[in-house]
Amino acid sequence: MDYDNGEKDFINIVGFACTYCAFKASEMAGSLRLKYPEGVKVIQVPCSSRVDPAFVIKAIFEGADGVFVAGCHPGDCHFIRGNYFTRRRIFALKEMFDAFSMRGKVRLFWTSAAEARKFVEKVTKMYEDLKEGKNEG
Amino acid sequence: MKGKRIERENFLNALKRFAKEGPGLLLGFERKDRKFRTKVFRKEFDDLSLFNPVFQVNTAIHLRRIFSKDLKIVCILRPCETRAYVELTKLTQVEPTSLICGSTDCFGTVSSKRDDLSFPEKPEDLKTFLENLSDLRYACQTCRHKNGVFGDFGIRIDSDWNFWFIPYTERSVPLYELIEGPESEIPEAFKREEERSKTLFQTDLQEFRKDFEKCIMCLNCRDMCPVCYCVDCLFNSDEYLPKGDALINSIMRSKASEIPKNKEVYHFIRMYHVSQTCVGCGSCEEACPQNIPLTKYFKGISERLSGLFDYVSGRSFEERIPYTTFKEEELDNASD
Amino acid sequence: MKTGIFICHCGHNIKHTVDVKALSEYFKSIPNVYISTDYSFVCSEPGQDLIRKSIEKYKLDRVIVASCTPSLHGDLFKDLLKKSGLNPFFLRRVSIREHCSWVGDDIKKNTEKAKKLILGGLFSVVHNVPLEEKVVDVDKSAVIIGGGIAGLSAACFLSRMGISVHVIEKEKELGGHVKLLKKVWPSGRSGREIIGEMVSELEGRDNVKIYTDARVESLEGYFGNYVMRISVGGDKEIYLKAGGIIVATGFTPFDPSIKPELSYGKDKRILTTLDIERGLDEIELPQAPKVAILHCVGSRDESIGKSYCSRVCCINALRAAQTIKEKYPEAYVECFYMDVRAHPKGGEEYYEEIQKMGVLFTRGVVAEIVPKEKALLVRGEDTLLSEVFEKEFDLVILSIGMSSEIGNRRISQLLKVSLDRDGFFLEAHIKLRPFDTAVKGIFIAGCCSGPKDVEESINQGRASALKLFGMLNKGYTFLEPFIADVSEKRCSGCRMCEMVCVANAIRYEAIKKVAKVEEAQCMGCGLCSATCPSSAITLKGYSDTQICDEISGLLWRE
Repeated sequence: MDYDNGEKDFINIVGFACTYCAFKASEMAGSLRLKYPEGVKVIQVPCSSRVDPAFVIKAIFEGADGVFVAGCHPGDCHFIRGNYFTRRRIFALKEMFDAFSMRGKVRLFWTSAAEARKFVEKVTKMYEDLKEGKNEG
Repeated sequence: MKGKRIERENFLNALKRFAKEGPGLLLGFERKDRKFRTKVFRKEFDDLSLFNPVFQVNTAIHLRRIFSKDLKIVCILRPCETRAYVELTKLTQVEPTSLICGSTDCFGTVSSKRDDLSFPEKPEDLKTFLENLSDLRYACQTCRHKNGVFGDFGIRIDSDWNFWFIPYTERSVPLYELIEGPESEIPEAFKREEERSKTLFQTDLQEFRKDFEKCIMCLNCRDMCPVCYCVDCLFNSDEYLPKGDALINSIMRSKASEIPKNKEVYHFIRMYHVSQTCVGCGSCEEACPQNIPLTKYFKGISERLSGLFDYVSGRSFEERIPYTTFKEEELDNASD
Repeated sequence: MKTGIFICHCGHNIKHTVDVKALSEYFKSIPNVYISTDYSFVCSEPGQDLIRKSIEKYKLDRVIVASCTPSLHGDLFKDLLKKSGLNPFFLRRVSIREHCSWVGDDIKKNTEKAKKLILGGLFSVVHNVPLEEKVVDVDKSAVIIGGGIAGLSAACFLSRMGISVHVIEKEKELGGHVKLLKKVWPSGRSGREIIGEMVSELEGRDNVKIYTDARVESLEGYFGNYVMRISVGGDKEIYLKAGGIIVATGFTPFDPSIKPELSYGKDKRILTTLDIERGLDEIELPQAPKVAILHCVGSRDESIGKSYCSRVCCINALRAAQTIKEKYPEAYVECFYMDVRAHPKGGEEYYEEIQKMGVLFTRGVVAEIVPKEKALLVRGEDTLLSEVFEKEFDLVILSIGMSSEIGNRRISQLLKVSLDRDGFFLEAHIKLRPFDTAVKGIFIAGCCSGPKDVEESINQGRASALKLFGMLNKGYTFLEPFIADVSEKRCSGCRMCEMVCVANAIRYEAIKKVAKVEEAQCMGCGLCSATCPSSAITLKGYSDTQICDEISGLLWRE
């Protein structure tokens, strides 16, 4: 990862989306032909709680300009309680990146399977912020 | 809270009786020939020292994987060591019923890398020496848990330099009862007051890279950390620290890189893994052959991350490690 | 390793913004890719033929299909691999339609993205292992915990469909609270009668066993093969085998003595709607008594920690009013309400009817009932007029709500099923899965999951019975292949995975000091894997290596 806070013309964002909510939202975004920046690439996981902070750290240092974790709204997880743990874990991870002045690079958001537009909004905003070099969040 | 005044004689007698009745062992510090060591005592306790101002390792690392039941091991250790022990019991790495682990009020320690230390001969001079100990390790300079309030019992010093044995859990009662002398209310003011809040640790990647330029990836920091308990560490396999052909593979997939590779990934992941259980003892820095200021980072991040959940590692045997539990209503601002 | 990559045009859906030819050319040069080709509709017959023939010709052991999103045609491609003699889990689907061609406009950027996505799939599929959808037999039997109306409904349905049923009831008599009701609204039939019908149906069947005065002591096993130990009469122990379990433990009526200001229990003129089911003969009332009926006693009340609505008490209050008016036509009856929730079919009409009988409705909150010798003093605030009132009555009826059944906590711990914050059983999803719990094979019905009326309880009993029947009927079940797996030699025995497991599918093996996964219980979320610091426990199909290599693929630079 190159350390700089300047503008770039193309950035890479890797995202984790849970099968039952966020990934479905991203599928619907495709069905609705909504557009979002090409640098955003999504990895499917069964539950957002599968996301090990080690994955996020590895992605950041392997060249991703940003990483997001998207899951079901707390209380609506298909696996009942998984995303409560995601919430704590990723919140702590963001705090760690904040300590290193890199908070903007890791994001967490919740979407239900129907919220395709919200998914697109969130990833687009993230892309634009990071393109402008807003790494500190 | 009740406790008993202890002097050298009645305490050593209690320990001797404990060792015989047990049969028991004592893990603690020894002062002999003007040198401090860590020792397991069996029958003779005359050289027992409640303090060891020289820090080599966090003694709790030796307690890992002691699973036998029906042992009786008393440990008189520094607060950071006892705190590490408490965390290890929560992670099922030590059998708590075999140990009675307590903490003493700590004056701080100096690094064992120093050769220029000299210690007073007479025990009476020890008090002045400890109170005036200078050039403490960074971990001790920034420590906010210097009091013996952790574990199964505490040995604390009041403002008149009297020593008190204070039981905190049921496990310490068998030893407590062997101490001759009356039980009384402990004094209100002890020697040390806890410091108030600190500023949050803040840094950036540039500073990190500068500090870790010298890192040779020997992994000593991981090996000597008392709470890095995994029997087969994540970094032994190839996903994050590839070796051999896997290393060549990963270089072919990315751009050219300096060797050793993946320093940031290693330290960042480890920093996250110990974020809740780190006791800030500085064993990592003590073990680092390159004298990298590891404590600053690991303790700093740990304080920030455990502070999010109001968690203090080693404070309680019952408190769950934050990543293993949750509240339904919390962290509304977690999502972006 | 021999991989085949098949890139779909999807007509022009993918082709129009992704250069599929360039992609298939590019992958030809990657080592271990034995065939890389593109085709107009990979899901069509000729498309499937192409894949099958390629597998045979090149002896492929990994197949990547880059096309639409994986949730579409999932079984089609898996079956295709099976027919070609390859384990279906060696297939990797990459979505370059919903996640690439349809969401971007720039051909160059989209093609690059598709390349990275397929690379991610390629790096990851290398680590796919042959997984199996294991088949286990299920026992066509069920245990129903609770012999109230919901439990009995479920039992009747299941036994009719040929499932053996064991009904466990903690009291000495079946029927729960419904048997106490004189007239169940709106049918007017007595609770005893309704219960009696169900009980005789069950007693007449030989695939039904009823245990009264019985308690659940332990539960082991997993869906299809549960073993439950119960105690009958306090001492006799019986082991029951069951394929599934329905929890129908009902509710505990709210005890108004928790609110001392209502003076319940201190004066026999203050009764609950349940008390008056016994009849009004025990109370001496004048010819034209003054009766107050209080709604929402024990519900919608933050001060006692019960903020929920108990759903049935408004209709109960109306029934109480009707009972009074029928026995004492000259009675003055006043109902104190916050809202009148006469929600069931015919409820609103019933409310109108009761008002026509002359019953008064005052919107207000009663703060205190003070028993005096000649009358009961009721003090409160009329919220519409914003006035404080103090009125005298001869009888006060409290329309009590439903509290969660006291035994729920114990059952929850034995079965490892969660309770919500009010102590009711937690359904898997309030709208989409209201009878399921987090544990596969354990269902809930009736008031144990929240206040319901008789009709709703009967329906729920039948619904969960139907769901369980559907799962048991085949006689066998497939175990999820994507489940957690522990590497014993790597496990440190810290039990963190056990602490977090959502399905309570992880046990600690004390002798080897490692974690063990109860395969049939595992839901496959992967939380344990992310919690384990050494990743000694992993999720099959989503292992660390697979995901890490996918990340590398997505971030690959030339």
